[in-house]
Amino acid sequence: MTAYTVQMEQLPGLFAAWSAQCQVHVPVALETGFYDFSPWRPGTEIAFEYDVAYNPLKRFFMPPREDMIVFDLETYTAKPVFAAPSILLFGVHPYDVKAVTQLDQLMESGSVDQNYFSRRDAAVIFAMTPLAVSDTAFWASVGADKVDQGFDLYWTKIGPGTFHVEIGSGRGEELLLAAGPLAPATAGSREAARKAQVRAKTLGASRSLRFDWRETPHVMGRSWNSSLWHRKAEKCLGCGSCNIVCPTCYCFDIREEVDEKLKAGHRFREWDGCMLNGFALVAGNHNFRPQASERYRHRYMRKGKYIFDKIGELGCVGCGRCVRACTSKIADPCEIFNALWEESRNEI
Amino acid sequence: METAPVTLPSNETCLLSAKPRIAFFDFAGCEGDQLQIANLEEKLLDILAHVEVVSFREIKTGHADDYDIAFVEGSITRPEDEARLKDIRAKAKVLVALGACAAIGGINCLKNFMGEAFYREVVYGPQAGWYRTYAARPLSAVVPVDAEIPGCPIDRLEFARVVKELLLGRTPWLPDYPVCVECKMAGNICRYDLGKMCLGIVTRAGCGACCVTEGAHCWGCRGLFPSANLDAARQVMDNAGFDRRQVQDLMRFFLGDTRAGL
Amino acid sequence: MKSRTFSPYVPRPATLVSKSPLSDLVTLYEFVQDNGKNLAHKPGQFIMVSIYGVGEAPFSISSAPIKESNVFEIAVRKIGAVTKALSELPVGTKVGIRGPFGTSFPVHEFVGKDTLLVAGGLGYIPIRSLLHYQLRHRQEFGRISVLIGTRTPKDRIFTDQIEALAKGGDVEVLETVDMPDADWKGNVGVITTLLPKARVEPQNTHVAMIGPPVMYKFVLRQCREMGIASDRIWVSLERRMKCGLGKCGHCQINSLNACMDGPVFRYTDIERLEEAI
Ligand SMILES: Cc1cc2nc3c(=O)[nH]c(=O)nc-3n(C[C@H](O)[C@H](O)[C@H](O)COP(=O)(O)OP(=O)(O)OC[C@H]3O[C@@H](n4cnc5c(N)ncnc54)[C@H](O)[C@@H]3O)c2cc1C
Ligand code: SF4
Ligand code: SF4
Ligand code: SF4
Ligand code: SF4
Ligand code: SF4
Ligand code: FES
Repeated sequence: MTAYTVQMEQLPGLFAAWSAQCQVHVPVALETGFYDFSPWRPGTEIAFEYDVAYNPLKRFFMPPREDMIVFDLETYTAKPVFAAPSILLFGVHPYDVKAVTQLDQLMESGSVDQNYFSRRDAAVIFAMTPLAVSDTAFWASVGADKVDQGFDLYWTKIGPGTFHVEIGSGRGEELLLAAGPLAPATAGSREAARKAQVRAKTLGASRSLRFDWRETPHVMGRSWNSSLWHRKAEKCLGCGSCNIVCPTCYCFDIREEVDEKLKAGHRFREWDGCMLNGFALVAGNHNFRPQASERYRHRYMRKGKYIFDKIGELGCVGCGRCVRACTSKIADPCEIFNALWEESRNEI
Repeated sequence: METAPVTLPSNETCLLSAKPRIAFFDFAGCEGDQLQIANLEEKLLDILAHVEVVSFREIKTGHADDYDIAFVEGSITRPEDEARLKDIRAKAKVLVALGACAAIGGINCLKNFMGEAFYREVVYGPQAGWYRTYAARPLSAVVPVDAEIPGCPIDRLEFARVVKELLLGRTPWLPDYPVCVECKMAGNICRYDLGKMCLGIVTRAGCGACCVTEGAHCWGCRGLFPSANLDAARQVMDNAGFDRRQVQDLMRFFLGDTRAGL
Repeated sequence: MKSRTFSPYVPRPATLVSKSPLSDLVTLYEFVQDNGKNLAHKPGQFIMVSIYGVGEAPFSISSAPIKESNVFEIAVRKIGAVTKALSELPVGTKVGIRGPFGTSFPVHEFVGKDTLLVAGGLGYIPIRSLLHYQLRHRQEFGRISVLIGTRTPKDRIFTDQIEALAKGGDVEVLETVDMPDADWKGNVGVITTLLPKARVEPQNTHVAMIGPPVMYKFVLRQCREMGIASDRIWVSLERRMKCGLGKCGHCQINSLNACMDGPVFRYTDIERLEEAI
């Protein structure tokens, strides 16, 4: 793979060049001690050592609320709404890149989600090897410490002021060279990058699945009748936070509103989640997943089995966001998968 | 998401056909909600073009007794309120509870936890002996309510939406999920991550989690969402280090009349 | 960047050309698309119907696919926002439609075979599309038996058509109600009481069934006991739906989506799914 070496001093020039073309978002430290992606402006301090972005990045491709169509009540016609803001996400950790490529696959299969790809195609992703890991994450144990696709550039900090940058796409290379030529990577910088990536994996292994993640669908397949679902779900608030913060969750509701003149309106989609009581409720009050334990189980089945059945990947990238977001502290896939594995390992 | 658990009267009046007549009423409350509506300004004018307002103290004087939709603000706090509310119910085709006081009892219910003599003194001072009052309660404790616009104060955009839905002959939609959903959508840092207490975990969404976004926490002003798990919520607050008293005070603030009351 | 013009979320206008009550709450609606095109659906598929300002909801197409006619029918029970708005629409007004979506009954597999159609309640609406298709191509199929169960006589829909069919003698029609009224002279009991009365040859019979969620388990057990192979049974499963495109997640049945993988499933494909039946 083509790669270059970039020095810290070269970044301001590059960011200036990029932000002339698109809205650049970078990880920054928040006052509260957490990190999140925020629009870059000259002088913005990039948090290279961020552990995890508090909010999921899916909002850039599928915003919490997005207009799908506008309609006219008088002519009874409707038009699609597409948004394609040019954005550049700088410093995305591999597990979050993996979440995006997973969404790409799911939005592509069957009927292509045009609204998603309208935004997705207009976005550039610069991945970055993690230098820190949050205390709820377990991405290293689900094969999400490194990605080999889904990025335009892949940055690895190999010294106090030096980056090794791998090219993932033509657009990425173009942007990387936007402020002038760069030094090509050397054997030494490649080796340094490899080591940094190994370090990331070790760093990320502080919380781990106790078994090979590829076994998860089998573990889940044995766990439908586990008593764990009831035990845990008793404490479930049905708040959906674990869905909403998950970078791989994509479920949505569709609603609409007319304007004040009652002549036109818009139909939008809004994030939804399978942990909410009304998710599978139909008119006449029949609920296809009436129990909290059934909803609770469904989410883990999605993460550990159903998504795997569809695309051969775990539906959880181990970012740990849900673990933190759950105020009841019951939404930890690492804990649940391990517990179910423990429970069922002798049943194989 | 589930629609509100009420259905419009089945008499097939398509409200759109005529210009529905709407009226506003208030009981024990601060009229803050009517103020929110007055603040809609331009949107309000557009909506008003589709209706005839027969009674609305905030923006006009005069009153008529013939109306289709009644928006009722405030809680019921006195026995004689009941007759007046029943009269409104009898005349209105659609009765909408406006604001926390009307929809869930709201802040008025604080007094339900105090000794009667004490709150009478607080509320009426020296004239305490002149008034007959009883435990504050929402409209639905006295008459059937067709729709609710909860909140203290109401969200004026939600009011606009509900009116439009009524004009289209539709049962107004109310979120059946908690504030956390909207709070996460807004990208807020959870109050529990900051060592604070928050009732978003049991409170009906619809406000966009505005209080959290503005730096405070949720007080529960929109009432419980239908499947709120109060035991789990209490445990969350307990685990976060808040004692029973603190939890109780927060829960009673707006939720006194609901099953959250301790 | 390629600019987009097509969205599967945009409904096409269609006009309501006639409407007739089928029961207290159920109404039959006939539509034609404003683009003049045939809907070209297959029996068992559904469309999403939009009433702008109110919402969108899925409905089975109740008419048979007919090349010569662009009119298509849905039958809808008034139960919530969209269905109530539909019931108030005057003839001549427009709605938006998307679809047809979803899988259909594999009529080609039924050719030369006997078919047993089991319809509980509103399940007769999509079954009717299949049945009417079969009647239009009558010579291609063997015996056709239709079992219909409703809660009360008042809930029966398409009663005239069904009675005519029963009188015609070409199709075996068995009806039952759970709760009879004073005038009801027919069978009483849940739909499983009909199956033993139907003249079916298990080895040569294909089954299509749609009904309320509680119905499937019992009818399926009966079919099994009669010796009808599971791969010759088709069930149509309804779930909450929003997109119809396999995206919104509401219609999930374990790892499947009822809107794309269904609504019509071969029973062997869902037999092992805990959430299916
Ligand atoms: C494949 C399929 C075929 C159907 N065919 C018919 C039919 O032929 N005739 C008929 O009367 N009904 C049919 N239904 C059920 C019908 O879709 C619901 O009654 C309808 O969605 C209720 O919408 P509402 O807006 O009136 O109700 P509300 O309770 O106001 O529902 C709001 C929204 O929730 C969703 N929703 C609610 N209930 C259902 C449900 N049962 N199924 C799917 N989505 C739901 C819809 O998006 C709906 O617009 C079918 C459902 C499915 C999934
Ligand atoms: S399930 Fe939790 S840990 Fe896994 S990807 Fe989603 S938010 Fe991250
Ligand atoms: S886990 Fe639930 S909310 Fe998330 S994508 Fe799957 S079904 Fe949707
Ligand atoms: S975040 Fe926790 S409490 Fe909320 S729905 Fe998920 S598991 Fe339940
Ligand atoms: S701050 Fe409150 S509303 Fe927001 S997520 Fe946390 S508990 Fe829920
Ligand atoms: S955040 Fe809570 S207190 Fe604030 S408006 Fe919303 S429901 Fe009311
Ligand atoms: S209806 Fe949206 S996924 Fe099936």
